[in-house]
Amino acid sequence: MRRRRPSPAWAVGLAALALLAMLGKAGAETLLRTRLNADIRSTDPGTNRDANTDGVIAHVVEGLVAFRDDTSIGPMLADSWAVSNDGKTYTFRLRQGVKFHNGATMTADDVIWSLKRWLDPATQWRCLSEFSATGIARIEKIEAPDPQTVAITLDQPSALFLPTVARPDCGQTAIIHRDSVGADGKWIAPIGTGPFKLAEWKRGQYVDVVRFDGYASRSEPRNGYTGAKDARVDRVRFNVIPDSSAAKAGLLSGSLDVIMSLSIPDLEELKSRPEVQLSITPALGLTGILFQTKDPLLKDVRIRRAIALSIDTAQIVDAVMMGTARPNNSALPLGSPFYSEAQSHGYAQNIAEAKKLLLEAGYRGQPVKMITNKRYSFVFDSSVLVQAMAQTVGINIELEVMDWAAQLDRYNRGDYQSMAFTYSARLDPSLSFEMLTGPKATQPRKVWDNPEAQDMLRQSMMIDDPAKRQALFDDMHKRFIADVPMIVLFNGAELTALRKGIKGYAGWLYPQPRFWGVTVE
Amino acid sequence: MLSYLARRLAMTIPTLLLVAIAVFALVRLIPGDPVQVMLGDAADPAQAAQLRMQLGLDQPIPVQFMHWIAKLAAGDFGHSITNNLAVLPLILDRFQVSAVIVLVAVAAAACIAVPAGLVAAWKQNSLLDLSVVGGATLLLSIPSFWLGLLLLLLFGLKLKWLPVIGYVPFAENFWQAATFIVLPIATLTMVEIGVLTRMARAASIEVLRLEYVTHARAKGVPEWRVLARHVLPNAFAPTWTLIGLVLGHLLGGIAVIETVFTLPGLGRLLVDSIFARDYPVVQGCLLFTAVIYVVVNLIVDLCYPLFDPRVTVA
Repeated sequence: MRRRRPSPAWAVGLAALALLAMLGKAGAETLLRTRLNADIRSTDPGTNRDANTDGVIAHVVEGLVAFRDDTSIGPMLADSWAVSNDGKTYTFRLRQGVKFHNGATMTADDVIWSLKRWLDPATQWRCLSEFSATGIARIEKIEAPDPQTVAITLDQPSALFLPTVARPDCGQTAIIHRDSVGADGKWIAPIGTGPFKLAEWKRGQYVDVVRFDGYASRSEPRNGYTGAKDARVDRVRFNVIPDSSAAKAGLLSGSLDVIMSLSIPDLEELKSRPEVQLSITPALGLTGILFQTKDPLLKDVRIRRAIALSIDTAQIVDAVMMGTARPNNSALPLGSPFYSEAQSHGYAQNIAEAKKLLLEAGYRGQPVKMITNKRYSFVFDSSVLVQAMAQTVGINIELEVMDWAAQLDRYNRGDYQSMAFTYSARLDPSLSFEMLTGPKATQPRKVWDNPEAQDMLRQSMMIDDPAKRQALFDDMHKRFIADVPMIVLFNGAELTALRKGIKGYAGWLYPQPRFWGVTVE
Repeated sequence: MLSYLARRLAMTIPTLLLVAIAVFALVRLIPGDPVQVMLGDAADPAQAAQLRMQLGLDQPIPVQFMHWIAKLAAGDFGHSITNNLAVLPLILDRFQVSAVIVLVAVAAAACIAVPAGLVAAWKQNSLLDLSVVGGATLLLSIPSFWLGLLLLLLFGLKLKWLPVIGYVPFAENFWQAATFIVLPIATLTMVEIGVLTRMARAASIEVLRLEYVTHARAKGVPEWRVLARHVLPNAFAPTWTLIGLVLGHLLGGIAVIETVFTLPGLGRLLVDSIFARDYPVVQGCLLFTAVIYVVVNLIVDLCYPLFDPRVTVA
């Protein structure tokens, strides 16, 4: 038998193939696939938006300042800022060499153009009303003393100015290039400064963002929505998958890498899967039981207090959240820099005291209607447990299950006896109290109508000194617990599941993903 | 024929107008409105009022209705409140997805159910009949979402033959698109087989008892020919009516199956829009569904003479 030597052509072909394979491997795009439970509304930051929109857009655009991990404010496109002595003028020093996605370098001119666009009523910016007479402060002047400096003057000092500018639902007051809109002023697509560029939005199916190679990252480590943002994957695909069990199946079969906002039963199931890792972080939302203090029965604080004393908050949280969240009776979220020792004093279960209060109030088993919903399983579960615990002291709670839109309608009109409700995240302690307190006559949705508290709230919004604000918040908390307009139960947790090969992901207080600094193996 | 068609189409106009009024009123009767859902727990009244004005929801309801009807007459279904997309293209886009699944599934179900029903009727009260009837009843009783989830678990997760989530339009990649809709089609086919088999069997039993069948047998026509020539055409008409009803019903939305298989179909669009109180989309979907129902039934009626020469369209 003759052995044939491989012909040179054959060898060259083989070598070429091997080379191609290597190139192919090196050139293969790294892709991270995640899930949105609904399509985004638009790509225009802070205008036609919802939480999904904010989450995607935060990868594409940035503002002057941004929230840190602990909800304090840090510099983002600004390098630093100074506040004038009267507290009205903020002078921002811009970072040098920041590039837009079209290659242009950011200057004070772009900042002014962007801010003016947000403040133009035609833009329909969500946060425009915050900068009007009824909001936190009016913007009187925006100037650029030099190409790296922008000065904004307000009509009155406000502790909420920077937190509002940084708010993700305001689109972080993004600084965008003027080519983001057409000559007719119509929105085209965001040309931002973020670590990712918007690549494709296939409506109802997915949104793709791709790495921006010209990104100028900050040097300090990743911190909330600021710090270093190095995109380590070429592309992130946000798939629109409304059904959560389908999303879970997608994760297990490997067609998704990350799914956020899991429910507690999902968590229990995914814990045992070897191909999945979990990220559990405390969240800022707030779940609790609201009382209508104008209700003929519940206007008696003794009955409200009796309900609060009949329940064991820790037990409810453990059962509902399976150890992923801690009990909290304060309006401020656990993890807030203002969550002092005073904030941790809440209600302790006391059956005898509760029974005594009910006797004093002359309660004789009248039904208390409690609205709840199944859109949020933790809200429904909480209401069931509160009902059962209140039963032990003789309080007769009747649950009424509604769809979320119908419940919101009743909430906004204040048309309820009691309801189990969940608030979305507020990033500043003043805003946490603001969502609860206000005059019911003009704001029927507000649950806590206490004029002194409202006065303290106004002060907390004006002063910048953290120690003075802390004293106000602690005082408000004491009154909040004494008045029992609602029982705060817990702040919840953000539960995210990732496939094992995903490295570098970290959740934070704000329930939005950050895909910079994340790698796929 | 043409005048019949014209008359039938003219008759649909009052029907659709009634549907339009009912839909418009009903959607607004549900508590909650789109602005509240969009703003959530952070609905500041000034913001809400501004948004209502932008969306035209601050106008009196009769004025809103007249606006909608006037635009509708010009073929403009309006724009979605949630994402500002034009409603008609949105509906048509979603309808394609549902229509492919429904048409293929019902056709497949009919191809299986009609012969099965015929054979079961022919061998009435035999073991074969019993198993056909038993199988049909079983399929009829299984909830479609549960069947869908089981198929998803088996073929998607355990065997990994088919993708679990997502959707690719046929225009983009035919084979890939097929892999995504095989399971929904299989689920729907199985459910519909149950419905149609029972109808086909019942109709065939009726026909098998008639004298002309006995006559055909008596004159020595082979049994397969009796079934094919005499029983099938006569027994098919009631089944055809049912197919029409089923088609009209399913084309209006297979929300449950679309949700299980995460398909961007018409049914899910409708359900999502109801939860979001997206009035223009809900109205558009329901009106579109009514049109589909009318059109499908018209086509079914026009096809009758093909199966039954006694029926004339005039």
